[in-house]
Amino acid sequence: MHQVEPIATESEPTTAAVKRGRAIVLTSGKGGVGKTTTTANLGTALANRGASVVMIDADVGLRNLDIVLGLESRVKHHLLDVLEERATLDDALIPDKHTEQLFLLAAAQSREKDEVDTEKMQALVSSLRERFDYVLIDCPAGIELGFKNAVAAADEAIVICTPEVAAVRDVDRVVGLLGNRFRPQLVINRLRPALVKKGKMLSVEDVNAILRLPLLGVIADEPEIIVTTNRGEPLALRKETATGAAYHAIAARVAGDDVPAPMPPAAKTSLLERIGSLLGRNRA
Amino acid sequence: MNARKIVVTSGKGGVGKTTTTANLGATLAKRGKRVILIDADIGLRNLDLVLGLEKRIVFDLVEVAEGRCQLRQALIKDKRFESLSILPAAQTREKDAITEAQFIAIVDRAADQADYVLIDCPAGIETGFRNAVAGAAEAIVVTTPEVSAIRDADRVVGKIAAAGKPMRLIVNRLRPDMVRSGDMLSVDDVCDVLSVELLGIVPDDEEVIDTTNRGEPIVLSEASRLRGIYDKIARRLEGELVPFTSFDGQGFFGRIIDALKAG
Repeated sequence: MHQVEPIATESEPTTAAVKRGRAIVLTSGKGGVGKTTTTANLGTALANRGASVVMIDADVGLRNLDIVLGLESRVKHHLLDVLEERATLDDALIPDKHTEQLFLLAAAQSREKDEVDTEKMQALVSSLRERFDYVLIDCPAGIELGFKNAVAAADEAIVICTPEVAAVRDVDRVVGLLGNRFRPQLVINRLRPALVKKGKMLSVEDVNAILRLPLLGVIADEPEIIVTTNRGEPLALRKETATGAAYHAIAARVAGDDVPAPMPPAAKTSLLERIGSLLGRNRA
Repeated sequence: MNARKIVVTSGKGGVGKTTTTANLGATLAKRGKRVILIDADIGLRNLDLVLGLEKRIVFDLVEVAEGRCQLRQALIKDKRFESLSILPAAQTREKDAITEAQFIAIVDRAADQADYVLIDCPAGIETGFRNAVAGAAEAIVVTTPEVSAIRDADRVVGKIAAAGKPMRLIVNRLRPDMVRSGDMLSVDDVCDVLSVELLGIVPDDEEVIDTTNRGEPIVLSEASRLRGIYDKIARRLEGELVPFTSFDGQGFFGRIIDALKAG
């Protein structure tokens, strides 16, 4: 909002067209399904493709994106400092350790979500879109004010869902709350193909038979994710790993490349019946 | 009104609040206690699903608050455990559909007819969290041995301590093999950071995914090792001195522990 280059006006010849980056919120309703991990990895993968990316941690009071990126000791100013004009955007943006053109705007840890002014948040994202190709907004869990502020500032949404009945129900609710302004795309996270085969986990088809959203990608459940998250090094830094490659494929699809979606084990499971009847009932 | 009113909370979502509430509630009921579980996650309810009671919902928490039905009409009895019932959350309403005073009044009414009222708290630290904590006299904080979960738990511990309520800790989804290989924080690491008395350690068990999807709490499975673990937790809750199963391993997460202590 401040120290941002002014928007080109009509009086100026449009030598450089104003950048209009994409503002994408990553949301899920349910917590712990991988919003923050997906934000960090998608941001890393997009920046690796040469795009400029800023990630905003909108989880005021419960920030974690800094930890997942290994930037926790570099946080000096945060989102509310910028919104309340105690710091400039340039002071608050933290360059990533590993990837060029990737920045973090951290959340305030000792403040509350109701201290975020929706209009100021929208204005901030709007000005960030003039500087970056992508503004990724890491949404808090739930559907309260923090969710509403994160969503209000975005114009695209990626919903993250795990193949669990409870997560599918929450995502279905969130898709409803997002409303018609969005056409959410889906990332299915933490799939365990072995469990799907045994009929003990919902399959990709099961999940999407309920949600019916365009599928951006599927990420398998790997202990490596916990390890890399604890260490602050997103797996997308390691393109040679299956999970790293899966994040790069998601980034390619977000960027508009025509990459075929990898489809782990198909076949609907018997679990679908239960979840189908249950969600049908909710919609009634 | 002699029931213990306990909120099950965590800050971070997806660490197992609802699973813990359901399994601990079922275990206490099995031990002969009268238990009422309250789903405080208005708009994103799931406790009914985990217990397989979603088709029996007639009234919900918000309808009780608004006086549109009696508490006893909204309570759903779990047929498997005679003395267990749940008060479901409303699914198509928002957290601010109920005031703190209304929530406290409902918990107190539930407490009149139970030995334990367990409140399944929503993720986050917003209105839903504040209501859930206001209704309780004590707290169980659930965390997983992951840096982000512990940081969130730390924030919640601070808020509960500020409210002057006693609390105990459950470390959920521990993977002893990962602790041993140095890839996961140990229980000692977690307790060291949070400084909260330990109530239980629950190992990661993929059967939980399946039982949750099917609406059968895992403590119903005779063969599950988690059955004994929740039983120990229930006994500790009742004041028994029960030794902890050792999942030894040494953490080396210097960076993280320092960051958590500083932050």
